[in-house]
Amino acid sequence: MRVVIAEDSVLLREGVAKLLEQEGFELVGRAGDAEELLLKVRSYKPDVAIVDVRMPPTHTDEGARAAVTIREQYPEVGVLLLSQVIEAAFALQLFTESPAGFGYLLKDRILDVDDFVDAVRRVARGGTAVDPKVVSQLVGRARPNDPVSWLTERERSVLELMAEGRSNAGIGQKLFLSPKTVEAHVHSIFTKLDLIPARDDHRRVLAVLAFLRS
Amino acid sequence: MRALLLIVAGAALGVAAYRVQVDDLFSPGGRAAATVAYGGAFLIAGIAAWARRPANKLGPLMVVTAFALLTRQFRYSHDPLLFTVFFAFGDVAYALVGQCMFAYPFGRIRGRAERALVTAGYATALIFPLAVLLVYDGRSPLLQYNPLDPQPHESLLYVGGGDRAVELLQKSQVVVFFGLLATLFIAVIVRNLVRATPRMRFVLAPLVVAAITIALRAVFESLFTFIDRPFAYEYVFWWQAGAIVALPLALLAGLLRAHLARAAVGDLLLKLERTPPAGLRDALAAALADPTLELALWLRERGTYVDAAGHVVTLPHDDPRRGVTKIEHEGEPLGALVHDSSLLEEPELVQAVGAAARFAIENARLQAELRLQLKRVEESRARVVAAGDEERRRIERDLHDGAQQRLVALALELRRAQRRLGKELDPELERLLISTVEGLQVAVEELRELAHGIHPTILAEGGLGPALNALAGRSPLLVTVEATSERFAEHVEATAYFVACEALANVVKHANAGAVVIAARRENATLVIEVSDDGVGGATVDDGSGLRGLADRIEAHGGRLRIDSQAGRGTRVIGEIPCGS
Repeated sequence: MRVVIAEDSVLLREGVAKLLEQEGFELVGRAGDAEELLLKVRSYKPDVAIVDVRMPPTHTDEGARAAVTIREQYPEVGVLLLSQVIEAAFALQLFTESPAGFGYLLKDRILDVDDFVDAVRRVARGGTAVDPKVVSQLVGRARPNDPVSWLTERERSVLELMAEGRSNAGIGQKLFLSPKTVEAHVHSIFTKLDLIPARDDHRRVLAVLAFLRS
Repeated sequence: MRALLLIVAGAALGVAAYRVQVDDLFSPGGRAAATVAYGGAFLIAGIAAWARRPANKLGPLMVVTAFALLTRQFRYSHDPLLFTVFFAFGDVAYALVGQCMFAYPFGRIRGRAERALVTAGYATALIFPLAVLLVYDGRSPLLQYNPLDPQPHESLLYVGGGDRAVELLQKSQVVVFFGLLATLFIAVIVRNLVRATPRMRFVLAPLVVAAITIALRAVFESLFTFIDRPFAYEYVFWWQAGAIVALPLALLAGLLRAHLARAAVGDLLLKLERTPPAGLRDALAAALADPTLELALWLRERGTYVDAAGHVVTLPHDDPRRGVTKIEHEGEPLGALVHDSSLLEEPELVQAVGAAARFAIENARLQAELRLQLKRVEESRARVVAAGDEERRRIERDLHDGAQQRLVALALELRRAQRRLGKELDPELERLLISTVEGLQVAVEELRELAHGIHPTILAEGGLGPALNALAGRSPLLVTVEATSERFAEHVEATAYFVACEALANVVKHANAGAVVIAARRENATLVIEVSDDGVGGATVDDGSGLRGLADRIEAHGGRLRIDSQAGRGTRVIGEIPCGS
């Protein structure tokens, strides 16, 4: 899988690059700012671009804006945004339109190497990666007559993993459950929350996020 | 006393002049009286002008003109001496009338053209009659004399000549005097009126009467001289008679109007008692009858003149239409009046107005100085707040982009080492690596929380909407956010965010509220941030709730903070922050 990485801290950029190479990815481009990132994406058409939200010159939202540009101009390139902080509201704003090929993770998620690598793969393949913190903020939010409280502990875990963008297989792996059991839980969750079962993972993420946001 | 003497003398002369015309010229009584009225009008106007504006020479000049006009009538006398003297000097009266016109309004003649014309007038009025007297043999009647007069006039200066020479000289005089010079007079008056500044045009208005008078008189004299007494002549006589009587009165009115301006100084003093500094310029402009007046205030500290709004004013130097009168008190400049250049001719008036308004001007000057200082203080406050914001932002940036990044990078190195060695790794060492990475993760998390308190990162990354939503998400209360997705300048977003933060914290602490709404919207060039709750109300800016600091912060950016909080009706905190357009 071909990866472009944009991160202004050289130390971190090289660390991530080496990590990904170690995990079998092909690092086709490294960028220190948004302009360079767009250039490399245009030149190399990678499967996924890993982008730091804050980059020079203003260190505010250059990366996020570059991500929007990439998704508009090169929809086939997945974008995984990394941020120092994660806010659910902002995340939802980013995901609203199409969660396909898009991810938004807290920077320290890199340290949970397996999850991180899984997320990069998922986004590169056109899947979704939502940071668990976003999900927990959404799930933990105060809301009247919370339907989430009708779920069992296990179902709640499955819900959260679904919201992160994981497939049934991924959820099963994470929770040490058989695919059949996961499927049963998913079915039960959709029934309890009165959601229409989604045909693919993207729509499932959208449906779950929409539910959590409401 | 002077006036009484002049009137008595004038009346006596008037009676004599009337008699001369009736007895020697055989004029009808009405026309004789009208001719006397010319002198009477000049006399009365001259006395009044002399009394009201003693410094102005126009008054005495008009009195002299009056006597010249009256005594001129003695040229019709059959007494040889009276005839000779007053035929010789009588026309000087017309030159005097011309001088009066150009001496208006300042009492002396200004300008080369005016001086030359008046001189030419005197020369014509003296040379031609003298020449006539030298060649007049007394047999045929003179021009302007009654042709039916059987009695001859005897010139004491007669040396020899004939009727043709007399006729030629007299007609030439009319052509030069009423043809050439009168035309030039009117031309100069028109030129002066056209060139005048608006205020000066107002002052010169009576000269329109003068121009009309000259024109009518010229037509009259021409008809009289060159057309053999047509019927129309009678009408033109009365028109020009009216104009000559009106002329001195118009000049007097003009002078008195200027005089009224001086009376306006008194009014100004009373008016200033009730005039706010903003109206000072208008009051001064009214007193000086100069709508173009500008008031410049001297700022000692800066060493410049400024207008009422505090903008720097440069005093005009070489502008011929503008004049400057500086107003000082005990050697200290207070300000300057920039006015129509015509007022330079009335320096006492401008100084009087300036003196009357001295305290008001000093007041306005101090206010302007105060405003300037206040503006500086405001600017410095804005800078202090901005510097504080910038510092927070910098610290937050340093934490995220420096320490935090480095910690994550280091932890990642350890993680990579751990994975690389994999199964070969000593279990003890692996545990150590894992716990070290976990420790670093905790440190990163702590740094994140610390940075958030200093300056929320999401504000920079996502803007006000996401930051407010994040704030709402953290709150134990049910908070609804209605925020614009527009991005604003950093300090505007930060100020709005901190208003919402502080207001929300207050709601949690004091309001006992169930629901909170945070709204952020643009209204023209203002970002309005509003936090409303359904709690107990009764909050004020000064109750130590931290709202005071917020108000200071907003005001430093030129905005304002309002609180609408009645007991039992909830609280609305509204911040208005200028955000440009």
